[in-house]
This record gives sequence, C-alpha cells and structure tokens, in this order.
Amino acid sequence: MKRLGIISLFVILFMAFIAVWNISYQSGMEEAYIPVENTNPISLIPSETGVFTRSKYALDYVNMPVDEQHQRVLKNYYKNRAFHGAPPSIPHPVEDERNMGDNSCLKCHQNGGFVNKYDAYAPVTPHPEMINCRQCHVPEHTKQLFKETNFYKADPPEVGVNNALQGSPPVIPHQIQMHENCLACHAGPSAPKEIRVSHPERVNCRQCHASNNKETEDIGIFKRTNNNEQ
Amino acid sequence: MYTSLTNRRSFIKKMAIMSAMTAAATMFPGILFAEEQEEKLPKGGNLDWKKAPCRFCGVGCGVLVGVENGKAVAVKGDPKSPVNKGLCCVKGYHSVMSIYGKDRLTKPLVKKNGKYVETSMKEALDLIASKMKTTIKDHGKDAVSIYGSGQWTIPDGYVASKLFKGCIGTNNVEANARLCMASAVTGFLTSFGLDEPMGCYEDIDHADVFILWGNNMAEMHPVLFSRLLDQRLKRGVKIIDFATRTTRTSMAADKSIIFQPQTDLAVANAICYEIIKNGWVNKSFVEKHCSFNKGLTNMGYGLEDKYKFKDKPEKIDFEAYKTFLEDYTPEKVERISGVSAKDIKYMAAYYGDPNKKVMSLWCMGMNQHTRGTWINNLVYNIHLLTGKISTPGNSPFSLTGQPSACGTVREVGTLTHKLPHGVVMKKEHREHAAKIWDVPVENIDPKPTYHTVEMFRALDRGDIKFMWIQVTNPMVTMPKLKRYRDACKKEGRFIVVSDIYPTPTTDIADVILPSAMWIEREGMYGNSERRTQYFEQMIQPSGEAMSDTWQIVEVAKRLGYEKQFYYKEETHIEEIYNEYRRHHEGKKHAMAPLEVLKTQPGAQWPYVDGKSTKWRFNSEYDPACSNGEKFHFYGKPDGKAVIWQRPYEPAPEVPDKDYPFWLCTGRVIEHWHTGSMTRRIPVLHKAMPHAYVELNPEEAKQMQIRTGDSVKLTTKRGEIILPASVNERGVPEKGQVFVPFFDENMLINDITLDAFCPISKQPDYKKCSVKVEKV
Repeated sequence: MKRLGIISLFVILFMAFIAVWNISYQSGMEEAYIPVENTNPISLIPSETGVFTRSKYALDYVNMPVDEQHQRVLKNYYKNRAFHGAPPSIPHPVEDERNMGDNSCLKCHQNGGFVNKYDAYAPVTPHPEMINCRQCHVPEHTKQLFKETNFYKADPPEVGVNNALQGSPPVIPHQIQMHENCLACHAGPSAPKEIRVSHPERVNCRQCHASNNKETEDIGIFKRTNNNEQ
Repeated sequence: MYTSLTNRRSFIKKMAIMSAMTAAATMFPGILFAEEQEEKLPKGGNLDWKKAPCRFCGVGCGVLVGVENGKAVAVKGDPKSPVNKGLCCVKGYHSVMSIYGKDRLTKPLVKKNGKYVETSMKEALDLIASKMKTTIKDHGKDAVSIYGSGQWTIPDGYVASKLFKGCIGTNNVEANARLCMASAVTGFLTSFGLDEPMGCYEDIDHADVFILWGNNMAEMHPVLFSRLLDQRLKRGVKIIDFATRTTRTSMAADKSIIFQPQTDLAVANAICYEIIKNGWVNKSFVEKHCSFNKGLTNMGYGLEDKYKFKDKPEKIDFEAYKTFLEDYTPEKVERISGVSAKDIKYMAAYYGDPNKKVMSLWCMGMNQHTRGTWINNLVYNIHLLTGKISTPGNSPFSLTGQPSACGTVREVGTLTHKLPHGVVMKKEHREHAAKIWDVPVENIDPKPTYHTVEMFRALDRGDIKFMWIQVTNPMVTMPKLKRYRDACKKEGRFIVVSDIYPTPTTDIADVILPSAMWIEREGMYGNSERRTQYFEQMIQPSGEAMSDTWQIVEVAKRLGYEKQFYYKEETHIEEIYNEYRRHHEGKKHAMAPLEVLKTQPGAQWPYVDGKSTKWRFNSEYDPACSNGEKFHFYGKPDGKAVIWQRPYEPAPEVPDKDYPFWLCTGRVIEHWHTGSMTRRIPVLHKAMPHAYVELNPEEAKQMQIRTGDSVKLTTKRGEIILPASVNERGVPEKGQVFVPFFDENMLINDITLDAFCPISKQPDYKKCSVKVEKV
C-alpha cells in the first residue's frame, strides 16, 4: 500500500512534469508576442514648456554681480543673425567639424561662463536638448560672398517701447519658438545688457509678460455670437 | 535747439492722452486702450506669417514665412506641421534669402551671334514655340524633349507631361529625379507593385532601433535626424549608422559600422541568412503575404550607348531562396565587406528580435548604386522575412532628396515610361490619361523613349534636337559631364533653360527664361511620406519672371493646344490640380482636395473619406485593403509582396594599380544640390565656400597632404584639382576619397562614371576609381 502510494506520487509528479514541459514547449513554439503600447506621439517643441527650464539657476542669477567690463550689447546680439529670429551663426573657429554638440558646443554653451580666449561670456543656449547644433548654426570660413544679395534685413524690435502703459510689464516683442526658455537670453552675465531682466527670481515670466505673437491668421475683431438672438 | 510746433503739439496731445489714460486706469483698473496698445507694439514680432513647405529637401518641413511690405524677411518652423514640429535646418531658416540674390534673372535672354540679348517674354515664348514646331516638322516628334526636376511643383510636372505625352505625343519627358530616386521607385515596384513608402515619419515616434543604410542623415535630413535624437533622449532608442565613411551621423550614432563600397548587397543577404538560420522568420506573415522571385544576373552597367535591359522575374520557393543564401554566411561576407561577422549578427539580431520595432532609413547611398534596385529589394526582404513592415515603428523607409521628387516626378509621372496614373505601355492606362487630357488615345506613344543618361546621349548623337530644361542644373549634375556638356554645345541643338540664376546650364542655353520661384507663385510639393503640401503666392516675382507652369501653358497655347490648355491665368493652379486629382481617383491613391491642403500642413495620400492614410497595406489604417487579412499588398495581382533573390555583384569600376582609390560624391548640410540658390545665401556660402576632397588622415600623412593643399584627382574621364580636407567634416576609410558636388567651379562630375542600374537607369555617383596626387 505504502509502495503504491510512493509510486502513484511519482507517477503524478512525472505527469505534472510532462504537462508543464509540454505547455512551456508549446508556448516556446508560438510566435513572440509584440506588446502593443499606446505611445502618444510626443511633440518635439511644445510651445509653452521651457519657461522654467533654467529656473533652478534663478537665485544664482540674482546674486551674480554684474561684470561691467564684459557686458554684451544688443547690437552684437543681432549682428550674427541673418534676420531677427534667425539662428545665430558661430562667430568663432570650430575645432571639431564632426562631433555632435553634446561633446563639444555644450561644454561652454550649456551653462555659459567666462572665456579668456574671446574675452567674453559664452552665451547660453535655450535648447541644450537639441545636440545636432550645426544643423542650424554654422561657422564662418570666409568673409567674401559668392554673389551680392538684395535681401532686406528687417529691423529687430526696439527695447523700452513694448509696454502698453507706463510701468506695465512689456509684452514679448519677438517669436518665442526655439527660445521659450527666457532666462537663457535674459539673465546671467552673457545676457545683452539692454534686455537683462532685473528680477530673474520671478521665474514664471509669462505670468506678466504676454506674447505678441501673431500667428498665420489674424482673427480680426472678436465678436461674441449670442445664441439667443439667432 | 529748435522744436517744431507740431512736435510740441503732439507732445501736449500725448501728455493729455497719457493723463486721461492714467486717470481712467486708476478709476477702472484693468482697462486697456486697444488702438494705443497696438500702435505701440513693435513691428518685428508682428509679421504676416504664411505657411509653405520648405523649398529645399524631400523631408518637406512646414515653414512659416514672415512677409513685410511685399518682401519675405524671416522664416520659422511651423509648429503645427507633423513633419518638423517647428524645427528647421540652417538651409530652411535662411531659405527666403535665396530669392534675393543680386544676379537674379529678371528678363528672358536669347542667344544671338554668341551673345545674350534681352527680349520680352512674349517674343521668347514665340521663339520657343516656333522652334518646337519646325523641329517636330523636320525631325519628328521624338526630336523634342523636356528635362524637368524633382523641384518642379505638381502643376509644373503635370502640364509638361500633358503637353509632351498627351498633345505632342512623345515620351521624351524626364526629370533629374532619375538621378536620385529611380532605384527607390523600381525597388518599390518590384517588391510591392506600387511606388512610395508604406510608412510615414510617425514611425520615428514608435521605432526602437534605427538602422541607417549609407545615409548621412545628420547632414542630409537633419530635421528628421533631430527627431531621432529627440527619441533617443526620451525613450533611449538605438541608432546604428551603417556606412562607408565616418560622418556626423556616425559620431551621433550608438554604433557605427563601416563597409566596403558595393558590399551592402552581401551584408543585406547575410542578415537574411542569419534571420532564417536563427528561426527569426515570421512564418505566418511570410506564408500569407510573401512570394519569392529571382531575376536575371550579370546585367551589365549601361556604359555603352543604346544599352537595353529587361528583367525576367521567375518564381522560386523558400527552400531555393534558403539554399541561395548559403553563399552569404556572415563569415564569408566578412571577407568581402570588411564588416565583422559579429557586427552582421548584431544588426541581424535587432531585425530578428520580435520585441524590437525597427526602422531602416536610406537615401542616395542605396539609390545611386549600379545595383540600386537590388539593394532596395534586399532591405525589403529583411523587413518582409521578419514581418516588420506597415505597422507603426516597423518601417523600411526610403527618404527622398528633393521637395517634390515624390509629388511631381513619381506621382505625376514625369519619366519616359510613366503617366500620371500607370505606365505608357498599358492600353488601359493610356486610355485613362487620354480621356482626362482630352486627347485622342493614339496620341500617347506606347513605347518609352530615353531615360535621362540616354536622353543626353541622344542629344549628343543628334537624335534629339530640342531640349527644354526646367528647375535643374544638369551641367553640374550629369555624370561624365564633359561628354554631355559638349553635346549641348553642338551645332543644330536648341536648348531652352528656365531658371532663376545664371548657372553652368544657362551657359549652354539658346534661350534663358526667368522663372518665378517657390513663394513667388502658387503650387504644391509632395514629400517622402506621401504628404502633399500647398503654398500660396506670397510675394511678387522678380522682374518678368514667370512660373514654370505658366511658361509651358503659354507655349502649349502657341502650339495650338488651346483646347487642352484651357486654364485661366488667375485660377490655373487650382484648375490643374483638380484635373490632376481625377487621374488618381480611387482608394489606392486618392489625393486630398485643394481646400484641405490650404487649411492644414499637408495631407497624405491615399486620402479617403477625409482622412490621410498613415500606413499603407495595413487593413487597420488603409481602406484599400480588401482581402480580410491584417495585411494586403494590393500592388501585386496575387496580393503578396515579393522577396527577391538578388546576389552580390561587384561595381563596374573598382580601384586598381593605376587608379587605386574609390571616389564617392555627395552633399553637405549647407548647400542644396548645385548651390545655385544656397551659395547666394551669405550665411551658407560663408560657412561652406568651396568644394574639397576628403582624405583618410593616415593616407594623407603618408602622401604629406594637409588640409588646404592642392590635390589632383584623375580618373579615366579626366582630372580636377581640389583643396584637401583632412579630419574635418567626414573621414573616408583607407583607399577612399569623398568630394561634394555643389561647387560649379570644381566640377567633380567631369570625372565621374556614367554607369547606371540596368533596372532603374539611375547613375552611380558613389563609386568609380581614381588616382590621388599632391600637386
């Protein structure tokens, strides 16, 4: 009886093994399952984010003394842009023609800092996450032109005339696409002195500064349709 | 200092307004004065922004052009465009500057006694029409030809095809896309029976691994490459650069794998071998949706005039295909390709892993290839064997170079054998076109005539007497250029060139017509992902410049085809587009109506029931699928995609004792094709002022060549001197050199070889043998 018990136990165990082995073998034969995940396409450049990107440095900016000797001026800021809003060209020689920005450009342009060689503070990029820098920013290897151009360089917006009322916060007079991150250009030692913000600690810039960004179509004078009257 | 009364008066006025406003503001906090506010707002931020597809490459970025006082002054990316999502590249941002070069052609020029004389547009068009008439009368209809472009807008290509194929009755219609996309087309046709990618750019947001086949995306498709980099940042995807040269793309990639020129054929087969050997084949997919074919081998290279080839497909079974692949074990392929067996297995493992979605991307490296059709087939083989196709993220994706290579050349069909829908060889296709064109069906010649290289050879021989060249610069881009330049200059040839600037091609013209470019006119482009995009006229054309569409319409009217060219000048683009849409009716290729294109950043065909189709051949997304299965490759009669047995064959000209280096040509990020536009953009010219020859640093050291030294390149076709570039933009492998082709002062194509893929007839600009000397 005891022997029968032991035998039947082993028989059951053996059958269980066969079953388990069979199931695992069968599932191994099945084609691998490709999990379907619902990935929402992520927008590359969300227009409203970025404002807070550099806000962690805001208090540093407040405490930073102004280096009067090495201030950038707005005229120079516009000089190496083909038009207002164009990506700036690279005004210095580039050592490595092949590398991506994360190994080269960003060393200086991610957080800025004083560069002895050029006697200036390195400007800070508003979009360090885009590392193919020379997709848009190119150096200058010659001063000569292939042919003259008649391109009309429109005047950039002026400073100090953008308040609607006296003392009201100025509107943003430029496109913010690709530079949603205000503090990159408006704070720190590399910011042009005319546009350096007096209160970098108030990081929610667009709380007070509205954008004056006319998109493709003007909606004209807004009229409220009154459903009751129709 | 004198202050005028008006100033004082206006000052007082302003003071009064200000005090009134201050008073009002204190009484009613929050009140705003609209007029006052608007007046004070700066102009710079308040441009009129209008949408257009970018003028340059085949990515087809949406741009917003800022217009002020009738001048285009600024560009930004269109954040609403699903292509670029607001980002552009350096060419795109500065694109509007290409309109304003000082030497813009503004008046028609006619060559009289060796000198160009200004004339009126009317006279020039009269002359062209009368020259065409006499040529047709004296030498037959096949003596006139038109050579267009993948930068033609859809209406340009459409009227050209209608005039030449429908009305005149010659198939002498070709376009420069033969030099850049023909192998992609024949690849699609042989594998799927229908042209253009099944997937779309959205695949980038889903794929886990990107394998770039000979494609320097960081420079040539930078906006898409930035989308890849963005995905790597957010999701940690893998980017593998499989190329013959170390570039920015290799530096950015997670892995760079270098192969010897032409051996991509062998590596692709080796990947298939590994997939089968390891049991990674998606058996149910292959059984249901694939058939196996083999074609002719030892096809030759088209180097001789009047070369003819026709492939003979033959059905085979899976076992025969498997046996064929035994010649391509990774170990055997390692010996010819220089790619280690380990790296081949590494790539095969990604393709084979059922839990990884793989996107393959390629462009000229695979298309400009004497076996271009084959290598396209072979990459499709990999995706078909593993069933990784037509689903989000699983995508073999053939990128295009030109803004409307797809939209105009491939869809309108401005190639010798093509019609807007179908091919000239098929009776029902000719009848369909003739009906819409309102011409007798006998007008359309059932026999294709010359592909691009052969067309220029025919011009050389004298079979073609008249050629009209629009929106392209063949006197920089034709391979073995000297022969074809001399051909154009021969007595008894009449060449009309429509362009916007003087180029080496206008130099050989008998009549030069000034064209209106891009946003100076209305039109549409079609990009790589089957997206048709519309742009309105935003600014006035320079001088007497006229759109290429209207130039052809005017000449057609003068030739007596008023009935077919009934379009009114004010609405002709709309009328032409609506007529063109009729060719593509049906679920497989329906185009979006113009009203839709005007309101959104493009639409992808097949546009059915108000919806773009993102993934073709997949019944979940594509309403044309009708077999009740998950996939339906309806381009082939049996509804099955074809896995092709294509072997490795060497290139026509390989380095030897006398010419020991490979010569590869290509582009740079700053310049668009031949630079006739981008070199007139100061930022771009200053960044890349001239061409150069890239050398391998070690070999340069042995030859004592440094960057900037003059180097003489000699091939069997001629010689050229270029400055050297060592360890700069790109680093070629040992035994290879690279030269960009944009520079009209250093015409590298004078010495390239005019061998082409026998199936697609697309020349191979990437491989010939060359001697390198320091001078």
